[in-house]
Parts: sequence; C-alpha cells; structure tokens
Amino acid sequence: MTAVVSVEGLRKRYRRRDPWAVDRVSFALEPGQAFGLLGPNGAGKSTVVKIIAGLLRPGEGRVQLFGSDPGNPAARKDLGFAPEDPDFPKFLRATEVLDYFASLLGLDEDERKRRIPETLAFAGLDKERRQIRQFSKGMKQRLGIAQAILGRPKLLILDEPTADLDPLGRRDVRALIDQLKVSGVAILLNSHLLSEVELVCDTVAILAKGRVLKEGTMAEVVPEGRTLEDVFVELVQANTPPRDQLPSFITDQDKP
Amino acid sequence: MNGTFAVARYTLIELSRRRILLVFFIIGAIGIALIGFGLKVFSGAFSSVVISGPNGTAPDPAKLQRAFELGFVNNLIDVLGFFALLIAFAIGMTVIYHDLESGAAVAIFSKPVSRAAFTLGKLAAAIVAMIAIVGVLSIEARLLMLLFGTGGLGVALWVETVAQVANALTIMLLVMALSTWMNNIVAAIVAFVYNAMAGFVVLLHSQLAAGYLGDNQVLKIGLNIAYWLVPHPLMSDAKRQIALAQYDLFSSINQGAPPGSKAPTADQIVAGIPGASGAGDIIWWVFVVCLFAGLVYYAVRRRQV
Repeated sequence: MTAVVSVEGLRKRYRRRDPWAVDRVSFALEPGQAFGLLGPNGAGKSTVVKIIAGLLRPGEGRVQLFGSDPGNPAARKDLGFAPEDPDFPKFLRATEVLDYFASLLGLDEDERKRRIPETLAFAGLDKERRQIRQFSKGMKQRLGIAQAILGRPKLLILDEPTADLDPLGRRDVRALIDQLKVSGVAILLNSHLLSEVELVCDTVAILAKGRVLKEGTMAEVVPEGRTLEDVFVELVQANTPPRDQLPSFITDQDKP
Repeated sequence: MNGTFAVARYTLIELSRRRILLVFFIIGAIGIALIGFGLKVFSGAFSSVVISGPNGTAPDPAKLQRAFELGFVNNLIDVLGFFALLIAFAIGMTVIYHDLESGAAVAIFSKPVSRAAFTLGKLAAAIVAMIAIVGVLSIEARLLMLLFGTGGLGVALWVETVAQVANALTIMLLVMALSTWMNNIVAAIVAFVYNAMAGFVVLLHSQLAAGYLGDNQVLKIGLNIAYWLVPHPLMSDAKRQIALAQYDLFSSINQGAPPGSKAPTADQIVAGIPGASGAGDIIWWVFVVCLFAGLVYYAVRRRQV
C-alpha cells in the first residue's frame, strides 16, 4: 500500500545557529491509519506537520505527500489541514471563508453550494453572520476544522484540534476522526491531550527536542497496565532537563 | 487560474470592508469637494470686487475666470496625487501582510494553490482596488469641473490621473514586497524614504537637463546614474500646460507693464517644469513595476508560515 505521507530523516532548523527543531524524524502514514504525534511544548510537532503541509521547507531529509513534494500545490489537493490557533481573513464571514477555500480546492459551484452549508452546520457556525474578527478562539478552531474537511481529504492533519473547544466540541471531533478513519482517511493528530490520542490513534510517536523518543502501535508504546500518560511523562522527563521547582512564595506557606 | 481569481475576489471583498481605505476615500472625496466649492465661492466673491492691473485697468472677467479654472485643475492634480499615494500605502501595507501575520496564510497555503497564483491574485486585487478608489475620486473631480470648466485641460487631467495611479502603483508594490519581509509600518517608512529620495533625484535630474545646475561633468554622470536607479514618476504635460496657460493669462494682464521690465519668457518658465514622460520613461516604469511585482512574488515564495 502506498504511504499517504512518508517522512525520512527529516531535519529542520529555523536559523543556522539554532539547534535542530526537528532532528532525523522518520515515519510513514497509510490510508485509514490514525497517527498521533506527541511531545511537550517546543518538541517540534508543529514544525513536522507544517513541513508535511508544504508550509515550511525541510532542512534535510525527504518528505513525500501522496508520493510528491508537499511544496507542489497538486500534492496538497487531498490534504486537509486544521492548524493550531487557526486564523482567517478577518473581514470575511464564515460562509465566505469556506467559499474562498472551496474555490482554492477547485470545487465547482454546485459542489460548493452543497458542501458549505453542511460543513458550517457540522461546525455549529451555520447561523453565524459576524465577521471573523468578532469570532472567539473556539469558533475559529471549529472553522479551522470545517475548512480542513471541506475538500473530503485523504489525509487530515489536526494540529491541537481541541485545545480551544468545549467538551461537546471535543466529542464531535472524536466522532469525526472515527468516521473518517472508517472511510479510509489517514489522520495525523498532534495533541497534548494524551487521553484523546489514546482513544483515537492506532500509532504514536513521542517527540522531545525534535527527536523521536519512541514510536510504534499503541500496544507497542503503552505496555499493559500503564497509560500513555505514564509512558509519555517517563520518556520526556528522562530526555529533558528537570523543570524548576514551584516558586518559593507558593511552597513557603509559613512566610507572609 | 481558479486560485488566482478566488484570492483576488476575496481580497477585494476584504479591502472593501477595511475602514482605513473608507476613511481615506471619504477624506479625499470631501477634500476635492471643498476645493471645488471653496474656489467657486472664492471666485464669486473675488469677481464682485473691483481690482485693477498694473496700469490701472480692470482684468477681463473671462481671463479671471480662466485663472480660477487653472488654479482648480492644478489643485485637483495635487490632491489626486496625494490621495493616490495614501491609498497605495494603505493597500500595500495590508493586502498581504495581514494574511501572513494573522496566520490566515497557514490555512490558505495548505490548500492546492501555488504562491505564484496567490501573489497574482493579491496583485490583481490591490491594483483593481486602487484604480477603483482613485477612479471614483477622479470622476468626482471631473463632475466638480462642471462648476468651472476644465480650462481646456480635460484630457491632460485624465492623463495626469493615470500617471498618478501608475506612480502610486510602484510604491504600493514596493510596500507589499517589503511588508512580506518586515513589519508593515517599517515597510511603509522605508518605502516613503525611498520614494522621497527617488523624487529628489528625479527633480535634480530635471534641473540638470534644464541647465540650472551648471556643466559639472561629475555631477552630470552621477545624477544620470542615480536617475536610472530609481523609478521615474510618470507625468502628463498638464503641469506645463497649466504653467503656459497661466503665463499667457498674466502676460496679457501685464501688457501695460512699464517698458524695459524683464519678464521671463514662456520657454524659460516651461524649462523648469518636467514635461510629459517619453517612451523611455514608460518602458522604465514597466520594468520597475515588473521588478517590484517579481520582488513581491519572491518574498511570498520565500516566506515560511
């Protein structure tokens, strides 16, 4: 089976003197597979997904999206990407944003008329008439997911998709992922919410300081009797310097 | 091509909702109206008082009316040029920068649209928006001319408007390119300074060509080199026509001036005013526009979001 995404020996740094933000990361993603990319803040997860989405250029290594360079617009035809903290042209309305993106996806007018109202209804934004600049973070996040699924992608990249969502929104996203998996869509999920990743992902990779610490199926990474959180904390703590203690003014209860 | 149209279409919708452009447009429209009606009121009041020429004769009211017409057209050209530049800065500072800085570009660039199509769409929208805004102001100016007449300069005013838009376009492209690399306010300041320096070089060059700066060969070579390193503002011969018309008008009023008084000749007056741009200047403008548009594309292409 052809991999939807293949990443081999990927390295990336933003400036020459900077340390590698991503260092020799390799993995592959097949249709219908849900892959979780985990890691603490600054681990390089968003950099990896942005390279796959053609937004950043890789420093070294090889990244293939549907067998092509992600920088090639045609390779992104079947990609849906919901970025972390999404934003949109702020003077447009939700309907206009989706129509804009549907046009970029090359959908014809009939298809746009069919898909846009349904997608907005799924995102709970069908009755929203305000411009994006008046949207809350949660509303933008829902619109971010809506625009990502609009083109019926074969690969859906979700970068912290539920960070600003309420519990109902999170449940909807989980249901969406399950449904898409069944229909053969590959999911690349980048999240801090380990319980969520444990629920929906078949395979995970744990990153810290740009390197993959552990990768495999959920059963390989999480031994029986332990949780993903246990494994994650143990691995990350062993590979990153210990964090500072709590501030003394919090711990010293006796002093005023 | 679909991508380019989509980017252009929704950028135009965005621009139409930007308050800063609306504010500039309203100020421009009010400013032009004030100039028109103000001059009309002023000319009406002026023509009712008795004034006299140097030899005690009252000027011909028709010539006085023409003086006002010319003054009006002259002011219009300056006001339109100023607002074209303001609008160019406002559009150039926002049209790509806000997509990049807000993060909207992340969602846009993950779609199957090339950076070239995105840049083309943005350029098309920016140019259309500027032509539309300055065009409406020009139409308003033209309507106000019904109060005065055009002083015989109707065509020249249109050509001058096109030239002003063309000049503003080069600045807008420069601001767009710079704001892809840096903060948009810094980009506007850099473009403003560059524009001022370019204007100064062009002015010095025209003075050199008119023979006002002497015959220093080093200065000549230096200014000629500098002249071909900066954009040349396109011009109609409206300013020259206005100067000549005013010269004719006032020389006829001054016909009774004492003999022996040395008035400058028409040629001397015209020599110091830049004339209509030639084919070389137009080709240079096309080259500069292509260069700056290429810079915008290069900046967008290199930009990682």
